[in-house]
Amino acid sequence: MASLNPVTGTLGTRRSAHILRRSTFGPSKSDISLFAGRTANQAISELFQIPATPAAPADYDTFKSWWIGQMLNSGRSIVEKMVFFYHTHFTTKEEVVQSSQALYHQNELFRYYALGDFKELTKKVCLDNAMMIFLDGRDNDRNNVNENFGRELLELYSIGKGPQIGPGDYTNYTEQDVKEAARVLSGYGNDEDFLTIDPVTGIPTSFVKNDGGTVANAHDAEVKTFSEKFQNTTIQPIELVGEDATVAATLDELDQLIDMIFNQDETARHICRKLYRFFMYYEITPEIEQDIIEPLATTFRNNNYQIQPVLQQLFGSEHFYDADNALAEDDNHAAIIKSPLELILGTLRYFGVTLPTAGTQAFMDAVDNGVLSPMGLQGLYLLEPYEVAGYPAYHQNPDFNRNWISHNHLARRYEYIGRLMTSMDDFGFQLDAVAWVESNISDPSNAQVIVQEMVDELLPEIITSARFDYFLNDILLDGLSMGNWTTEWFAYQGSNDDSAVRTQLEALFNALMQSPEYQLH
Amino acid sequence: MRRRGFLKKIPIAATAPVVLNGLPVGLLAQGQLQQVVSSSSNDKVLVLIQLHGGNDGLNAVIPIDQYAQYYNLRPNIAIPDNGSRGYIPLDSTLDIADQVGLHPDMVGTKTLYDQGKAAIVQGVSYENHNGSHFRSRDIMFMGGDFDDYLGSGWMGRYLDYCFPNYPDAYPTSEMPDPLGLEIGTSVSLAFHRDNGIPVAVAANDPEGFFNLINNTGGLPPESVMDTHYGQELQWIMDIEANSNQYADRLKEVFDNGSNTPGVTYPETYPLSAGRLNNPLAPQLKLIARMLSGGSKTRIFLARIGGFDTHGNQVESYDPTLGNHAALLYHISAAVEAFQNDLQGLGLEDRVVTATFSEFGRRAASNASYGTDHGNAAPMFVFGKAVKPGIIGTNPDLQNLAGNNIPMQVDYRQVFTTILHDWMEAPDQAMVQTLFDGFLDQKLDLFGSVVTSTRDEFISKRFKLNSAYPNPVRDRTTLSYYINTAVQVDIELLDTGGRRIRSLVSGHQQVGEHRVSVDLSDLRPGTYIYRIKAGPLDAAKKLIKM
Repeated sequence: MASLNPVTGTLGTRRSAHILRRSTFGPSKSDISLFAGRTANQAISELFQIPATPAAPADYDTFKSWWIGQMLNSGRSIVEKMVFFYHTHFTTKEEVVQSSQALYHQNELFRYYALGDFKELTKKVCLDNAMMIFLDGRDNDRNNVNENFGRELLELYSIGKGPQIGPGDYTNYTEQDVKEAARVLSGYGNDEDFLTIDPVTGIPTSFVKNDGGTVANAHDAEVKTFSEKFQNTTIQPIELVGEDATVAATLDELDQLIDMIFNQDETARHICRKLYRFFMYYEITPEIEQDIIEPLATTFRNNNYQIQPVLQQLFGSEHFYDADNALAEDDNHAAIIKSPLELILGTLRYFGVTLPTAGTQAFMDAVDNGVLSPMGLQGLYLLEPYEVAGYPAYHQNPDFNRNWISHNHLARRYEYIGRLMTSMDDFGFQLDAVAWVESNISDPSNAQVIVQEMVDELLPEIITSARFDYFLNDILLDGLSMGNWTTEWFAYQGSNDDSAVRTQLEALFNALMQSPEYQLH
Repeated sequence: MRRRGFLKKIPIAATAPVVLNGLPVGLLAQGQLQQVVSSSSNDKVLVLIQLHGGNDGLNAVIPIDQYAQYYNLRPNIAIPDNGSRGYIPLDSTLDIADQVGLHPDMVGTKTLYDQGKAAIVQGVSYENHNGSHFRSRDIMFMGGDFDDYLGSGWMGRYLDYCFPNYPDAYPTSEMPDPLGLEIGTSVSLAFHRDNGIPVAVAANDPEGFFNLINNTGGLPPESVMDTHYGQELQWIMDIEANSNQYADRLKEVFDNGSNTPGVTYPETYPLSAGRLNNPLAPQLKLIARMLSGGSKTRIFLARIGGFDTHGNQVESYDPTLGNHAALLYHISAAVEAFQNDLQGLGLEDRVVTATFSEFGRRAASNASYGTDHGNAAPMFVFGKAVKPGIIGTNPDLQNLAGNNIPMQVDYRQVFTTILHDWMEAPDQAMVQTLFDGFLDQKLDLFGSVVTSTRDEFISKRFKLNSAYPNPVRDRTTLSYYINTAVQVDIELLDTGGRRIRSLVSGHQQVGEHRVSVDLSDLRPGTYIYRIKAGPLDAAKKLIKM
């Protein structure tokens, strides 16, 4: 059976690379060797240290490249990976929101709660300015209830939709609940000047529409009655002025709504399934549901919806390292298809490719041309998922992250690797294969050592000896002898003319990374 | 991806099990080979257009008989019933209970209807409708009930039946093309089979695709492990092999193909408000070109998004303008151009086009000049083979189900009809597609003797009656009926076809028209009077005494 029992012992290279690939935007060579000597708990305690909050971008219009910069430079921290996870969960589209500042503040919110209280985060997202625009919350008033946000709050963001078992009945909630939730959420407006500040987070938020005083004059003050899925809970204002709720009572109704949703056991399960699919594997069997999801959900509830204990339990478990049974068929090692973001940033971070100084125009151009634009070609337009549910890889049954791989997208992933070695003019940065080998491979004059050390860390799984021979003999040596490589390498060292070894090393880099194996982690 | 020329084209008549570069090649059993030939012997093509986000059917197809109720449900977005931007009455020859008005930006649809090449299916949905975009779209793609959870789609299962052992046994000389082609860069659930990679290839630029495939990738591994990792690796390898197989062919077909000279596809919405660029036209243009280039692909899927109009569906100052108007224009104008293109290419007999959307929208509008998620909505089916008309009747706006338009037709009735009657799918294929339960509920979408059906349809709606009296001494009365407000020109010609004079010229309303003309100054003899009015071009003989 699958088990969350804590794993023991030092990690070693394979497990070190595994936890780093899954929990960060990819390790460098030195990260892998550092964690190899640590236990899972030691690794986790470093991953979960909270870095200093980054300074805001000087110009909000540069928010996207600023955000990529945070991911690129996030070192051995899980925080930025969680920020991205929250973006895949509470998705918004820039095309609809059309305010870089609103998107930045939403991102700030994700970072504030990255390892913290998921329930509080959900509440803050209900009030988030970008979300108010994206799902029409600002247009939802008592005379004309707009259900858009209320529906997605239940369907996507919290309890999740179960199978439809009757007219308007989605197991976990009903159409009636969508309508009642929308009424609870009525009467808010987005603050276009970003002057309304949340007292807890210090981050700009929306406001309750009012008469200039304490009366919430667009909020539906009638009693909202939920279905038996929520134990027929009623929600109503705790304070009225005439027939209107007060501003405080309107906000209190949101508290009641969130309490009601998080009082259902299913909410924790739904979120834990999303975490599992994001960090582990997309297929949730009855065994995984019982042995992994259920105990993680219990941890989540017992910790009042703090997300950190759940993640730590998963990353520290035998299950995470396939150590819970002797079977290979259910191993999850290297079974996630990388997103374009993980493919690109993972490559740049592993090879330590240097971008122009953060914050400069050159940096922004480099990110636009060398990261964001190729990501789009590979099927991930950052902040422009095709639909409200987010990027298909994180929710679309039955293929989940296989959705990243189409005929076009796969070819674009391969193409990126090829371009990366000659991309200085196009991207403003490039990967220098010779320089990297020279300073990172223990003995670059030995072709076998080069291939061995690269295969061990770049490819996520053990390869056959035939495959190794292909990389070594067919590609790097081009059918010639090991001795010939040594001669070529020393000739380069003596002459500083790297053209011969560069051709062969670039061929090797291409073969290793324009491969099916490199698409996985 | 094939620098080393891996995975050669597989001979279909292989006699022994083959493993090429670790990819086991399935052998075709005897019966399966016959099945391939028999079920793919026709060249009928289906083009599906997905309207993503939930199309507001009620502002596209307006129930004329209930205009007041319609208006009261949605006063801030209602299309007016008069004026230059009033709805376009579709067909005044129908029962009043069935008469509809089209959105004023759906001129192209009206034109195709008048040519007898368009049908509207009213009230399409499924039982126990689901308000979720994603779930609803998945249901329509997978071809199931509201409570089915299938990992495959109906197009995938149908094509899997027609072409067994995909992808290993393909391409073949009978089927050199991808079975399905999705215009875009990823493949929808609709094309998924029960196992293995989907039956469609996604492409929006065959030339770029070819160059890309030829300049990337190395040799794939020769074997995979029996782990989750191995399964994912196999998936990627299969897609890669598939890319290599079809890249050449897609380019070849694209290069061989062309569009009809003189047919212009619309690029933008001519009225400034709303989503300006037509995203559908280039997709349909590409499909026409691929077909003219010899593509044997059976199902094409095109897509246009932006229909989730909770807010700003219309402009606050003019309900006939805005995002939804632009979208309806894009569809109507693009399909009209596509149909003209197919006609010019001589392909009109091979292609049927249908639109679908995950749901319609709420009958009542909201305060944001928009509409929330609803239930049933009309589908449009276009093509020369289509039996023109309206299937189903106007929704009863006084008896809505929770402010929603109730279902009249299950979406699978439409797709079953298309597969069985148009694509000529055998019953056994319908079993595998999981649509066999709808075979006894097919719709009358395809007349049996298509040409006469369409001619009869048109002549009922556009006709030139006999002049009376004829022979004529001084005056005679010309009469004609038109089903569209159009420019009407009637000319008097001599028997040599030379123009004598104009009898009628002007823009005229729908209906029966009678004009008395004075011919007292005409020399005795035989003449011809000829009418041109929209699709009507007819002539009759007139004798002057």
